Amino acid sequence: MSRKIVKNVGTTERIVSIALGAYLGYNGLKNLRYQSVPALLASGYLFVRGGLGYCPISRWLGKKDIHNPAINVKAVMTVNKPREEVYRYWRALANLPSFMPHLHEVAEIDERRSHWIAEMPGMGGKIEWDAEIVKDEPNELIGWQSINGSPVKNAGKVQFYDAPRRGTEMRVIFSYHPPAGGLGTAAAKLLNPLFKGVIENEIYNFKRVMEAGEIPTTDGQPAGKRTGKLKLI
Amino acid sequence: MKALCWNGVKDLKVEKVDDPKILNERDAIVKVTMSSVCGSDLHLINGFVPSMQAGDILGHEFIGEIVEVGPEVRQLAVGDRVVVVSIIGCGECEYCKDELWSLCDNSNPNGILQKKVFQYPTAGIFGYSHLFGGYAGSHAEYIRVPFADHGAFKIPDDIPDEKAVFVSDGVPTGYMAAEMADIKPGDVVAVWGAGGVGQMAIQAAYHLGAERVIAIDSVDYRLAAAATHSKAEVINYRDADVLDVLKESTGGRGPDCCIDAVGMEANSTGIEHYYDRTKQFLKLETDRPAVLRQAIAACRKGGTVSVVGVYAGFADKIPLGLFLNKGLTMRGGQMHGQRYVPLLFELIREGRIDPAFMLTHPTPLRDGPKAYELFNGRTDGCMRAVIMPQQATEHIAGAPSLINIVDKENAVGLPVCE
Ligand SMILES: NC(=O)c1ccc[n+]([C@@H]2O[C@H](COP(=O)([O-])OP(=O)(O)OC[C@H]3O[C@@H](n4cnc5c(N)ncnc54)[C@H](O)[C@@H]3O)[C@@H](O)[C@H]2O)c1
Ligand SMILES: [Zn+2]
Ligand SMILES: [Zn+2]
Repeated sequence: MSRKIVKNVGTTERIVSIALGAYLGYNGLKNLRYQSVPALLASGYLFVRGGLGYCPISRWLGKKDIHNPAINVKAVMTVNKPREEVYRYWRALANLPSFMPHLHEVAEIDERRSHWIAEMPGMGGKIEWDAEIVKDEPNELIGWQSINGSPVKNAGKVQFYDAPRRGTEMRVIFSYHPPAGGLGTAAAKLLNPLFKGVIENEIYNFKRVMEAGEIPTTDGQPAGKRTGKLKLI
Repeated sequence: MKALCWNGVKDLKVEKVDDPKILNERDAIVKVTMSSVCGSDLHLINGFVPSMQAGDILGHEFIGEIVEVGPEVRQLAVGDRVVVVSIIGCGECEYCKDELWSLCDNSNPNGILQKKVFQYPTAGIFGYSHLFGGYAGSHAEYIRVPFADHGAFKIPDDIPDEKAVFVSDGVPTGYMAAEMADIKPGDVVAVWGAGGVGQMAIQAAYHLGAERVIAIDSVDYRLAAAATHSKAEVINYRDADVLDVLKESTGGRGPDCCIDAVGMEANSTGIEHYYDRTKQFLKLETDRPAVLRQAIAACRKGGTVSVVGVYAGFADKIPLGLFLNKGLTMRGGQMHGQRYVPLLFELIREGRIDPAFMLTHPTPLRDGPKAYELFNGRTDGCMRAVIMPQQATEHIAGAPSLINIVDKENAVGLPVCE
């Protein structure tokens, strides 16, 4: 699952470009005036970027320079299960790896403290830290944070609300930040901006696991020769 | 095993690929006995649906036999003869629970990706691009079926294969088109497109109470089938002004219900066609909405326009002024097959719906590319070619009205890529 997404983030960007291109094109056409010319140009540019997978501007900027090593993912979703059940599953932090495959293991040391081991394919090693629950309001809110001195700073917050007739609305924040004073190689890989897409997907997996009992996948299914790239338009 | 793969626009190949495996606990493996072509495949083959990749296995309308089940499969057993719905639903999310299966929240592995384009994720579909999950399709000897308890239905013994296969996709789509059209007794229904989906929409419209159904297409043999098998009145849009004829034959009111069973590759006459083709080519619109425009224009005041013809993105010159000022209702969607299968078995058994005539070209897997050529070109009387992956040779017994040109011609054989 995660392996595939890492490979495909270029694809995400391209699809987003096409969608944005379409949207801006639409907005530009909507008010066809002098000011909309830049929007139409931007739309054409995004189409090119999306369609050809080639971004003249990134190239010009030297894409590496625009990376920000912190990862903050915010997600909202509705899970078709009662709030108590949804809260309970997340609160048992040892369940996290069942929907976040980049987490190799989360072991609960006691009520508040836990030991986390993260691993990504191609990360070149495991990375471990201890975290503690900093806020716990049953059926409403869970917040945690890695303790001082961890090789990577991880923090998260999950809030639960009733969704009338539809189970539970959730707000999730999940973040990784570099620690003060440099990065180890494994941590650096974890903070690769492509990783953001992985986290986003893994948070959505929570809903899939809670509702469907599994994460949908095509990894390992047959295919003919992949002689070309994913064709977007 | 062998499978029919998309290799690029208008480029299909039969290739040797791995056998499918159970990947999740609710999966089953089905040995495919019949797998039909569908108009939706043409949108992929002709290059109008984004996110295809060389090597993708095509096909989504199929029946077969269960040969393996995952540990969490409860309702199915090895040996069951099943029809599998073309769209995949988890059965547990809010949408599946509401029987809106094609809107499933959980069955599309690329849901997050798709969300960036459509705002919300929709269900996975077999063999229908990576935005819709990238699932391997059914033009293969075997296929993996996720959430099998919900997607695979045992076929009653008295329903033969050549009817059951279309219950996977063509029949429920036509039925849902008629249902969304909100037909009242005595209504006149116009159906654009006399392909398999249009044919089934016509039959379902009569079943739901239509007094008259008028089919519109330009392909004579399809119009002939609409008249003889589905009992419609017909209009060839190349010979007549569709709007005039529809008004003329409804006392000036226009049809009460209009069904678009054509979608994004609609052809049209004159300048309109060149306009849409050019814009589509330049990617200024993804869809050619000629039928949608005409349906909105033709529909009587206060009537309903029901859209099952597939659109991929955006289109222009849609007469929204008519839509609003005539007080129309418009509905659309990918079909929610799981909701209809048991009912459709019943209607087929009673003879109210009969899809068997649509199987015009039973085809061995290796001739898949040729079958799509016939289907895409609307030649040789082809309504639907049905690939029979377990049959290596010509003669396929049991199917009606076989016009088996494909097999006669394949003495030389088509390229099979090993
Ligand atoms: N919503 C769903 O779940 C669903 C499921 C299956 C198929 N579909 C879609 O339904 C549509 C029809 O499928 P099909 O298998 O019957 O396809 P098909 O290609 O066999 O038939 C399409 C027919 O439309 C006719 N046509 C083209 N332009 C026309 C026009 N301007 N006016 C009238 N007719 C015109 C063609 O001549 C052809 O006979 C396709 O868009 C397909 O993608 C949707
Ligand atoms: Zn189809
Ligand atoms: Zn679902």
